[in-house]
Amino acid sequence: MARTDLATSLILIALGLGVLAESLRMPRYESLGINPYTVPGIVPGALGVILALFGAIMLVRTLRTRGAAQAAPPPSAEAHPVRLALAIAATLGYGFVLVGWLPFRWATFLFVTGFIVLFESRARQRTRSIARIVGFAVVEGAVVALAVGFVFERIFLVRLP
Amino acid sequence: MFEGLTQFFSAIVAVASWSALFTVAWATLLGIAVGMLPGLTATLGLALLTTLTFKLPAGDAILILISMYVGAIYGGSRSAILLNIPGTPANAATSLDGFPLARRGLAGRAMGISTAGSFLGTIIGMIALASFAPLLAEWALSFQSYEFFWLAVFGVVVAGRLTAQGDPLKGWVSGFLGLLVAMVGQEAIYAYPRFAYGVTDLAGGFGLLPVLVGVFGFTEVLWVMKNPAYQAVKDATDSVVPRVREVLQHWVTIIRSGLTGTFMGLIPGVGEDMGSWVSYALARNFSRKPEEYGDGSIEGLMSAETGNSAAVPGAIIPVLTLAVPGSAPAAVLLAALFIHGVRPGPLIMIENPTFVFEVVAMVFFASLAILIYGLALTKPLLLILRVPYLKLMPIIFVLCVVGAYAITSRLFDVWVMLGFGVLGFFLRQVGFPMAPLVLGVVLGPILDVNLRRGLVLSDGDLTPFFTRPISAGLWILIAITFLLGSDWFVGRMRKLGRRFSPQRSEDDTK
Repeated sequence: MARTDLATSLILIALGLGVLAESLRMPRYESLGINPYTVPGIVPGALGVILALFGAIMLVRTLRTRGAAQAAPPPSAEAHPVRLALAIAATLGYGFVLVGWLPFRWATFLFVTGFIVLFESRARQRTRSIARIVGFAVVEGAVVALAVGFVFERIFLVRLP
Repeated sequence: MFEGLTQFFSAIVAVASWSALFTVAWATLLGIAVGMLPGLTATLGLALLTTLTFKLPAGDAILILISMYVGAIYGGSRSAILLNIPGTPANAATSLDGFPLARRGLAGRAMGISTAGSFLGTIIGMIALASFAPLLAEWALSFQSYEFFWLAVFGVVVAGRLTAQGDPLKGWVSGFLGLLVAMVGQEAIYAYPRFAYGVTDLAGGFGLLPVLVGVFGFTEVLWVMKNPAYQAVKDATDSVVPRVREVLQHWVTIIRSGLTGTFMGLIPGVGEDMGSWVSYALARNFSRKPEEYGDGSIEGLMSAETGNSAAVPGAIIPVLTLAVPGSAPAAVLLAALFIHGVRPGPLIMIENPTFVFEVVAMVFFASLAILIYGLALTKPLLLILRVPYLKLMPIIFVLCVVGAYAITSRLFDVWVMLGFGVLGFFLRQVGFPMAPLVLGVVLGPILDVNLRRGLVLSDGDLTPFFTRPISAGLWILIAITFLLGSDWFVGRMRKLGRRFSPQRSEDDTK
């Protein structure tokens, strides 16, 4: 945790100072003769200072306890870093690329089918053959895409991406 | 008092129609399902339903949301008891005693106790809502910009302190990051687009719902994918109908936990999780059998479930009277009220006097629904937990995308949801709680406008911020919260305490 805290504290200090600098650059509308206490930069500037201060406190705390801290705990055997990376890639791929590029129902069909095939075929206690997994996933993907489209568009009258 | 009762009964009559009862029935059931499924929290359920219902009439939409809220917090207890995975974060304390009971083959009894606790907790919170909301609204009429500014700071600081387990600094960072997020976009006095850099979408700011769906929905999907699969449950074979004697036996715990839960709900941003934990801790302190806690204590389970359910109406009190959310799901409810043209805040009892009691009636119907479902639908509800999570996660994510898009039909909102989901995941990974961040996003505009307005009123003089009675009370509480959360101060106090302790003085004289 100490290493991530160190990185977080440095990011916070940089963010806080960056926000402060940006706030100072915001207009002060002196030519309009406005009350100087209402300039747009005052609150973000204060928040920038506070965040940088929190970052500094975290930095000092981390550096102080660093000597005393033991080695980083071994990564949990139960966590699945590869699965997580694949999940992030699949979800971001759907949200950033497929939606907006393909019609919603097609994008959703591809995503749900792909997601189920990808993760079920990787599961340790796999009981079905790949062909069966793909077959089921195609049906499930189609059902989800059509059902979500129908419920949102026809019943709740919401526009789809 | 009698006037309140009369208004409550007229509200019950006003709300109760066949269509409303049907709405309560399906929305509470959906809420229970959402609460039961790990990966779907009450906040996400409410956020998604807000996007779905924003074209419905205001009364129907709010009834749906309140039923979902009450149902989800109750539903989370099922997975806590049967899977040892709290369905919503509010049910974490439930699993401590509920799961050991289930392992002993007493799952039905545990579910019965949690149903009774949730029902009674909601009723206690509901009575508090009916009694305190009008009083609080009247009191809040004396609030000016100075008080609203401190209230916003108070919310972020207290939520940061109470929701960060063991490290308040991370909670505060999270809360102030939320305030900073709220700064993006046009500010309310001169319409200057802050941090927009010429991008029109950024000038519109980050919408609360996309941010919420990101940090409570997408983050949760990633969290579930990172962690190992949960095991499917066995059947509950024993009776789920709680014994009346068993419930009556714990009446002191029920009332204490109900009041504690309501109070924790009332504090901005703290909500059901703490309602449950604090009630549980208090029950253990006062218990005659504290050694049973964590090993299947009926009293512990009762306190946890009464506490989190009582926090639901508790969290609605500040939503209605101050326009400040008591918890993360209540933040969604607040946003929904604004979307539907209800103006919550101190003026609510003047502008819309019957509304508070209508909400009380809605909570009442939803609590009846959880009682009926809890006792009658045990086996069918178990089926929900059998849905394989690998099939569920992509569906939840699709709903997150649609939910983020639905309100303003901007793809930008989908990107905001994605961005905050990934950010939320990494922040959660390194120990930053999400609730203060969301509260910060809600309170940011309140803090911004009221600080500047207050400074104009006082012509730059900071004195009224510190000397007006309510302001003084608030900033002193904020200062105490900061001090008690700081290692340096607590260390100093301990040292001082040791120096003056009699043991030490005796040692010194030797």
